[in-house]
Amino acid sequence: MDEGEVQSFLIIFSVIAICLALTVIVLFIVFLQRKNKLLLQQAKTKEAFEKELSETQIEIREETLRNISWELHDNIGQLMTLAKIQVQMEEHRSDSIKEASDTIGMALQELRVLSKLINPEALKSLTLEEAVQLEIERFNRLQVLEALLKVEGEPRTLNPKEEIIIFRILQEFFSNTIKHSKASILIVEIQYHGAYLSIRAADNGIGFEQIDEKVSGIGMKNMKNRAKLVNADLKITAEKNKGTQLTLVYNFVD
Amino acid sequence: MSINHLFLITFLELVTAMIATVLFKKYVASKEKYFLYFLWFTLIFEIIGAIMRYVFEWKTIGYYNFYILISFLFYYYWYYTIIQNKSIKNIILIFSVLFLGVALYNLFFQSWFEYHQYTFVVGALLTLICTIFHFWQLLHSDEILEVKYKLSFWISTGLLLFNIGMVPFMLLSHHLNLKGDSYYLILITLNVILYGCYIIGFLWTKEKYNRF
Repeated sequence: MDEGEVQSFLIIFSVIAICLALTVIVLFIVFLQRKNKLLLQQAKTKEAFEKELSETQIEIREETLRNISWELHDNIGQLMTLAKIQVQMEEHRSDSIKEASDTIGMALQELRVLSKLINPEALKSLTLEEAVQLEIERFNRLQVLEALLKVEGEPRTLNPKEEIIIFRILQEFFSNTIKHSKASILIVEIQYHGAYLSIRAADNGIGFEQIDEKVSGIGMKNMKNRAKLVNADLKITAEKNKGTQLTLVYNFVD
Repeated sequence: MSINHLFLITFLELVTAMIATVLFKKYVASKEKYFLYFLWFTLIFEIIGAIMRYVFEWKTIGYYNFYILISFLFYYYWYYTIIQNKSIKNIILIFSVLFLGVALYNLFFQSWFEYHQYTFVVGALLTLICTIFHFWQLLHSDEILEVKYKLSFWISTGLLLFNIGMVPFMLLSHHLNLKGDSYYLILITLNVILYGCYIIGFLWTKEKYNRF
């Protein structure tokens, strides 16, 4: 190879090398970007689908509760009212009949409260504190545990739909407390901090071992899904034999 | 011309064709199956050329002009079958006619004893546009998520890199009068890239991504 040939070789070689390098880089970047975009889209679609699914589940549940509530109020409630009238009409009223009449009256009252608490329409007319208060009074009447509600700060109205979802989260927690925790005390604190609202509920029951994602039951999953739906942060901590605690922080949307 | 250099390329073609034959099952359902026949055709064409040159000692430069014609027409045909967009299909059809016109013009009005590098350059440029059409199609489909398993992607990549290197090579080597070892070094490098892409494609592809 003479000098001229080396020179032309170098020129051609560099031109080709630059062409190849540029092509590879451009190709790589374009494909990578497009791929990331598609993956992102898929993730978003999946998220939207899951949200839709949770919403549908909640709707179905509320619908069922509404039907049960109507059934309790209109059907069983009417029958019990009738029973009470029938007992009161008894001519020779002994003490035990009077007691029976009182018991029916109490049952009727319980039934009305219960039907109110599970009916989403009725809940809409209540504020969050009122609904929680009704629930707590019910626990106290049932004498399963001693329950207490504290409200701090300036109360603000919530979006009724979201209020129901938050209330259902609390109900789920309460029912776990009553069914599993063997607690004697339940304390609920609702604090309004202006831009956000924090709710703390704690019992002194048996608690449970540290929450494992896979083991945590349907109830826990439902609570978390619902919290996600209203953009609330939900944390549940438990300590063996010391109790379970729920903390929920909800941000008001302005 | 150096006999060793040419054997290296022929050897590459042989390896690629053999791998393509062994793994034929993976892409038999797709349009890429034509590449198996094309690779063997290339090899046989090359061998016949070598025999003519080294056994009969004929001048075979003109003979390779036919390879340019056939190979580019084959690429256009392949792209025509895999591109789905109707108007792009028509554009590829126009490309074929355009290229055929240039190639025939050169065949009839130029000496048969020289390599028609302008035919090659026109063919290569049109092929480059076809590869871009194909990438564009891949980019706008979900197949992009598994693109490395698609044989057509690797074939297009090979063709893109090979031709993008060949165009300046053809134009400059003529004007700068490049000959001998350096000429073959570049030619072999580009062929290694082309057949390397093919081989990666054949080895890497999965049957379920080559169903059409």
